[in-house]
Amino acid sequence: MSSRPTVVACLFASILALPAIAQELPSALSIPNTTSAINSSTPMSQRVVHYEIEAKYDPKSHTLDATEILTYHNLTGQAQDTFPFHLYLNGFQPKSTWMRESRRDGTRDSLAQTWESKDNGADEIRRFEVVGQGDLTAQLQFTHPDDDNRDDKSVVQVHLPKPIPPDGYVQFKIAFHDQFPETLARTGWKRDFLLGGQWFPKVGVWWNGAWNCHQFHGATEFFADFGVYDVKITVPQNQVVGGSGIEISNVNNQDGTRTITFHGDDIHDFAWTASPHYITYADTYQGNMGPIKLTMLMQPAHASQEERHVRILKQTIDRCERWYGPYPYKTLTLVDPERDSAAEGMEYQTFITGGTSWWMPEGLYLPEGVVAHEFGHQYWYGMVATNEFEDAWMDEGINTYTEIKVLDDVLGASTSALNLRGTTLSDRQLTRGEYAMVADIDPVARNGWQYANDNSYVGATYGKTGSLLLTLEGIIGEDTLQRAMHVYFMRYRFTHPTKEDFLKTIEEVSGKDLRWFFNQAIYGTEVLDYEVLKVDSSPVDWYKENFEEKKGERTYQSEVVIHRKGEFVMPVEIAIIFDNGDKVRERWNGQDRWIRFTYEKKAKVASVEIDPDHKIYLDRNNFNNSYVLEANGKAASKLNNYWTFLTQMFSQLLAWWMV
Amino acid sequence: MNQRQNILSNGWAIVRRNKQYVIWFYLLNLALAWMGARTFRQQAGHVLDHSLYSNGLVQGFDLGVFTEMLARPEFGPVRATTIPAMGLAVIFMLLTMIFVPGVFLGYASDHRISREEFFRSCGENLWRFVRLMILFGIVGGMVAGVLFGIQHVLVEAASASSNETLSFYVQLACLTVIFVIMTAIRIWFDLAETDVVLADQNAVRKSLGMALRQIRQNPARLLGAYVAVSVAGATILTAGIWLWYTIVPPASVLGAFLVSQATLFLLLAMRFWQRATAVAFYTGSKLEQAITIPVAASQPFPSPSAAQPAGM
Repeated sequence: MSSRPTVVACLFASILALPAIAQELPSALSIPNTTSAINSSTPMSQRVVHYEIEAKYDPKSHTLDATEILTYHNLTGQAQDTFPFHLYLNGFQPKSTWMRESRRDGTRDSLAQTWESKDNGADEIRRFEVVGQGDLTAQLQFTHPDDDNRDDKSVVQVHLPKPIPPDGYVQFKIAFHDQFPETLARTGWKRDFLLGGQWFPKVGVWWNGAWNCHQFHGATEFFADFGVYDVKITVPQNQVVGGSGIEISNVNNQDGTRTITFHGDDIHDFAWTASPHYITYADTYQGNMGPIKLTMLMQPAHASQEERHVRILKQTIDRCERWYGPYPYKTLTLVDPERDSAAEGMEYQTFITGGTSWWMPEGLYLPEGVVAHEFGHQYWYGMVATNEFEDAWMDEGINTYTEIKVLDDVLGASTSALNLRGTTLSDRQLTRGEYAMVADIDPVARNGWQYANDNSYVGATYGKTGSLLLTLEGIIGEDTLQRAMHVYFMRYRFTHPTKEDFLKTIEEVSGKDLRWFFNQAIYGTEVLDYEVLKVDSSPVDWYKENFEEKKGERTYQSEVVIHRKGEFVMPVEIAIIFDNGDKVRERWNGQDRWIRFTYEKKAKVASVEIDPDHKIYLDRNNFNNSYVLEANGKAASKLNNYWTFLTQMFSQLLAWWMV
Repeated sequence: MNQRQNILSNGWAIVRRNKQYVIWFYLLNLALAWMGARTFRQQAGHVLDHSLYSNGLVQGFDLGVFTEMLARPEFGPVRATTIPAMGLAVIFMLLTMIFVPGVFLGYASDHRISREEFFRSCGENLWRFVRLMILFGIVGGMVAGVLFGIQHVLVEAASASSNETLSFYVQLACLTVIFVIMTAIRIWFDLAETDVVLADQNAVRKSLGMALRQIRQNPARLLGAYVAVSVAGATILTAGIWLWYTIVPPASVLGAFLVSQATLFLLLAMRFWQRATAVAFYTGSKLEQAITIPVAASQPFPSPSAAQPAGM
């Protein structure tokens, strides 16, 4: 285990001795075993990379110049002579794949109709050297493994003259220049604020026997190996800076700049932020593995919401640690980004961004939702580092489920998104709503760049995954699913699991064959929609004329027909209530397209409800799940009253000004 | 009585004396809104009336259920509900334009005018009011366009600042200024409308000229009165909505209806108060002229109805 001063000394020595590095033998290299940024005496991940970056940021031009020393441990089990690198900032160029797809399919960001220079982003490698193999800058080639877009420069590849043997090390020394865009895809500047995300050349992941280094797509996020990060950032002295990992030093330089040094262990990304306006708040949470230092970088206009942010952050950490496993890092930085920036609601390891505005009533739980979601990503994306390009649902979807469970627990299941003077909205409704709009377009399991459009990507990865896991609770039980998530987390933390790893863990823990469900819900596009097709009660002695009816004396033949409208087959329960108060529960396996239930009672059917315990969140239409024979116009009358009021108001205001 | 100090109270007295106008206009608006909302009621009922899922809208207001209802194909396109409502709102505005001359006449009269007098005044002044409304549309539209343009520029400039609340306060300040200026224009046209009716003025430009002179001579008095009534209206609206949410049980459709309609009725009364204030000011200023001009003072000031030989 290396101590912190040793790491810094090594860093300085290596930078000072740059010309000599080229002569150094790769066999002398290693990945540090530091643990100063985690509450563990031993490393928690299989460390593949060590990034040492020194960067200087110019806020006026929104540019950055840096040197990066990347040490890579070849754990691929075979010799490697080709290494691909992500250059994500190159995605923000007019002809890039990111821009092309975002304009075609939509994006969370608002893109102007015309190209503006402020949208331009770039990650330009100015020198690329491989220790012991010389300057290979001229050998760099842009590749486009996912499409034929030759103008895309988000992936660059280098071919080494000498292969790196299995278990060997290679060290890359890269000088690069960044141009940040005005915030796009949670990176860039806004006014004098900066969020530095995906800002440095980042090596791909050897996964399932091949390099996995996809182009930057409109909808996709990221994928990287675990390792150690030592990052020095120099900014003007008026800037408040936060970053991933722990802050080692913060030194004022004589030229009016300041250098902040960060160190991170067992992380696979490094993000940072700078703004002259942040108000810094510090707090501590006693985690299961040790104290966690919480740093909140709040905008001045949101200072009064600091307590709200800390409260939900601690509540979320508490639930995640109890339900899934420990959070081992010593720090968590919560960034409250500049308003109107596309930097809200983003996750990096030990570093997340929130989302709020200066006016945020207590009952509107937007900041709570964002913080709960982004912290949840420390588990799903952070420690369980799934491939966000190919399995977006495994981070966004599983995490959406986590967010729902946390918010349910903290704020109440029916009021977890909004609770303002009788107006309510739950997080699970929001999630289901995202899915219901695009239920039959794309399967959950699909490469992130291959969804029909951004709505479908969001609907499937966030909405459908969240809804299907809530539905799964109804099949195997809430406690069982929670236990399965715990096992999955503990088994696959600090690795890159596949979708089958997750699904098999659930089957293993529940002891049930759930393929019938997974095949439809995850791999398929079958839509789940059951409806009450027919309800009827007719007197058995219908042929008698002028019968004087007395309640409870006449026998009725009642029939209830349930129809499976969609292709998704799922066993359902049906509750039938008769007008004498009798209740009947039926169960149907859903295999046929419809089923008829008949009853002969001295009572008529009053109501029928499919899924009376409300366990099936995948049902696209909740309105047709029940039928009440006697119409109840209260809800429609209430809405009608609102509508009439608004119409009258509009009329009066129009007439007020015009006549 | 000092007329200079009491146009507000005189105006309110006029409204109270002629309650029937507010009531009729309120009922007219309610009837039109009810017709406009019929499509919405039918569409909502189609989705909600037989489903247990609609209970989320009865015992509270479940926004998830509501948005899901709007998204259902069975509900139909939202514009099918908004277009009739908007159309009937325009009809209410046009009907207001048609019937308001009778209101001005009634307000200026010291007795309850007959139905025949009311409608005759409406008929005689129809074309004049159409012209006034068109002119208001041009003047108000141009002024509002310029003001909102300036507001946009100022808010954009404020948005460049890192001070997050600055743009909001700039917007608030701009809207306040726009409100005051637009209110001044409204006063101008209200006085012109009053003059058109009470002086049987066929040349609306002369009425507009007269009204402009009056505003220039009494800006604070008129503007103060109008703004005060507008503030009262805003207070009523806020209080009404607050009461709606605090005292009315979520499941009480009748309670919500009564509170919301009482709020709208009082809000409508505020506009009539403004018109009555314009009439009080107009008749008061005529009286002052009668007092200060000896020749005119020797003649009794005719009642507004008697002063309009043709139209009243």
